[in-house]
Amino acid sequence: MHAHSFSPESAGRRRACVLGLAAASTVVGTWEMHRLLSVRGTTAPELVLVALFTLCFGWIALSFWTAVAGFLQLAVGRRLPGLRWPTAEEESSPLTSRTSVVMPIHNEDPAAVFANVQATYESVAATGHLDAFDFYVLSDSTRAEAWVAEELAWAELCRRVGGQGRIFYRRRTDNTGKKAGNLQDFCERWGRHYDFTVVLDADSLMDGRTLVKMARLMELNPRAGILQAPPLCVGRSTLFARLQQFAGRVYGPVVAAGAAAWQLGESNYWGHNAILRTSAFIEHCGLPVLPGQQPFGGHILSHDFVEAALMRRAGFTVWLVPELGGSYEQPPPNLLAYAQRDRRWCQGNLQHLSLVLAGGLHPISRGHFLMGVMSYAASPLWLMFLMAGLVAALHDGWVSWAHPTAHPVDFGFDTGGALRLLGVSMGMLLAPKLMGLGLALARGQDAARMGGRARLVASVLVESVLATLLAPVMMLFQSHFVFGTLLGYRVSWTSQQREDADLPWAEAARRHAVHTAVGVALAIGTFALSPGLVAWLAPVVAGLLLSIPLSVLTARASLGLWTERVGLFLIPEETVPPKVLERAREVTEEHAVAPVADAVDHVLSDARAHALHLALLESLPGPETVPAALASARRKLLGGSVEPLSAPEKVAVLLDAGTLTEARERRLTRATS
Amino acid sequence: MMQTSRPSILESAWVRPETRAALDAFFRGFGFTSDEDLTALALWVLEGAREQGERPQAAVALARARVETWLAGVLSQEAGGTLLARGRAAFVLCDGARLGARLLTRGAVPDGFARALRAAVPVPAPVQVASVMPEQQLVLWPFGELLRRWWRGAQADVSISR
Repeated sequence: MHAHSFSPESAGRRRACVLGLAAASTVVGTWEMHRLLSVRGTTAPELVLVALFTLCFGWIALSFWTAVAGFLQLAVGRRLPGLRWPTAEEESSPLTSRTSVVMPIHNEDPAAVFANVQATYESVAATGHLDAFDFYVLSDSTRAEAWVAEELAWAELCRRVGGQGRIFYRRRTDNTGKKAGNLQDFCERWGRHYDFTVVLDADSLMDGRTLVKMARLMELNPRAGILQAPPLCVGRSTLFARLQQFAGRVYGPVVAAGAAAWQLGESNYWGHNAILRTSAFIEHCGLPVLPGQQPFGGHILSHDFVEAALMRRAGFTVWLVPELGGSYEQPPPNLLAYAQRDRRWCQGNLQHLSLVLAGGLHPISRGHFLMGVMSYAASPLWLMFLMAGLVAALHDGWVSWAHPTAHPVDFGFDTGGALRLLGVSMGMLLAPKLMGLGLALARGQDAARMGGRARLVASVLVESVLATLLAPVMMLFQSHFVFGTLLGYRVSWTSQQREDADLPWAEAARRHAVHTAVGVALAIGTFALSPGLVAWLAPVVAGLLLSIPLSVLTARASLGLWTERVGLFLIPEETVPPKVLERAREVTEEHAVAPVADAVDHVLSDARAHALHLALLESLPGPETVPAALASARRKLLGGSVEPLSAPEKVAVLLDAGTLTEARERRLTRATS
Repeated sequence: MMQTSRPSILESAWVRPETRAALDAFFRGFGFTSDEDLTALALWVLEGAREQGERPQAAVALARARVETWLAGVLSQEAGGTLLARGRAAFVLCDGARLGARLLTRGAVPDGFARALRAAVPVPAPVQVASVMPEQQLVLWPFGELLRRWWRGAQADVSISR
């Protein structure tokens, strides 16, 4: 055992401080809430209201104190205790380990995927440590067109960088276990070649220096199981994405540093932009299949939290290392894409509820499961809190249909106290933003790269207003997802939208009609009840009423680029882009691949695609074609039918070398004769 | 009576049309399209064969063997396995056909092309090292499990997925 690899002695004090302060704040807040509501005795609706408030306030209190810890950590500027960092001499020595960099993909845009791989590959090469790394693109693509395009993009990438034998491409013929299963398949086939595995997402991009540093940290800390490099959102142009990029750049570091400061070696793993100790991962992180049906049973959807918990259970530590830097990903381009991603994550996180009490887990791992649940459950809880507040007000006569103009003060309600509590809650919500802003302003270079101090402050103000308006919409989305999951809706696993395409008004109207209707109902109902209440609910009502134009306008790249031109929401990665980001953009632009319109037709008509596909087909583990699909496909393809092939037929044909060879020969013969 | 497929080029040689068609299809897979190249390649394959009128299947087998030997030489790899498929892919990706049939029929291969060909051979994945990632056992509710075991006398820690 290596003591330095485990959470240091100060872990207990740090945790007691953050968690204790969060608990104390919650107790004080709850007591105050109870005091406010019990002026005329305590009723059942008020008890429900207090219970909901406790949960919601506890959640923001934990976030607040975590942010405070992060602020202090960043202000002091010292490294967290626990991990042994390399000395200057160690840093200049060659790596003694082998690391695989794996990128699981699923029906993604191959141009962007392989541009990111190329930029990362070249960045590693520039460090002089390329020999210690291999790269894998692990495809789970189900669309035949995506499959063929990936093959061509991979061959082209290898040609450009001379990467054959170092950049590998493998496509699974079945998608068992989804992303976690994809990674497991890699581990079981090639994992033992490597000491460490860096897991990337389809839109991940990592600086070579960061990868080398991560591998070196793993070498120096033999009981470290996972190091997570928090990814920074970059590279998008829509207003919505730029808002997220800006928020992530200004407030994100405070939150990440705070989480790292008290979680230390029991931090969480986010599923990508992280390095794993491969042998420990193989031996201890094979995911169980949960009993029962979805949403709580079946394959584990959000695998990362569970893998982190299993890794920690096995005696290996999990670290969040914000100071690594050089770790990037792309945010969803618009609100609907963001919600779509949330829907997947929501079901995955709620599934973790059944694991909270599982035997042998570290308490902080249980905490991660609960925090994951709360990140989605908080929305319906706030919604229920609002509803319960209205019900309680009606039930106890604070407001009345009969006397809409009556004021709660008339009944002895402590409005001042309520405003104070609201102010404290809002302050706790906004404090991480202010702390992030303070740090950015204090660092002159950062502020200059964000458009200067004045524009930085203006950006934070505008971002806060827009985030406040978008929050009620997300609250309804997430509430819908949570209730939908609890009621047993299934979540389909599809790749998320990653392009900066405009959102049509009709689509936005369809998706936000209910939100707008809720906004109208809330406004009318509240006004009828008590005009004074409307002011309290104004941010919620305004966000819901404006949901359609907000969704459409924030999805516009033109608006995002305009804000960039006027210096709003700028991040240093836009003003002075790191080399790896710039390179990825260059490669995407220079080597854009033509889309494959019809996979089978392309493989039959294009000599390169045909030869390459057959060569790669020979390395597939075993044909798993559906005989019926292949038989019908052969009838259509070789029998001269004009009927197009169905999606399963295309896949069946693409898995059968004989059919492809025969069809191509016939096609060539026809062409020459 | 057999016909020569390309009497204008090689008047003394004749190849069964179906054999020639099979060979042409095979070499078209390498990107060769001109009649001249295809004829030269057909002759290269059938050169030394017992008779020029080899049956199509046998002729293609001969062609595969010839090309495989050529690829093994240029790529410094052993013939067999997936070499032909991977070598063909590399040949097509390097557009070897633009150098004409002489590239195959002539002994020497330009160094630059050989290097490019070697670099283009698809290696989709390294050799596998089979390993099993064991499914971890998690008792979701240890207290309940304790009770269950006490009540039923069941075995401890049975994987929950089974």
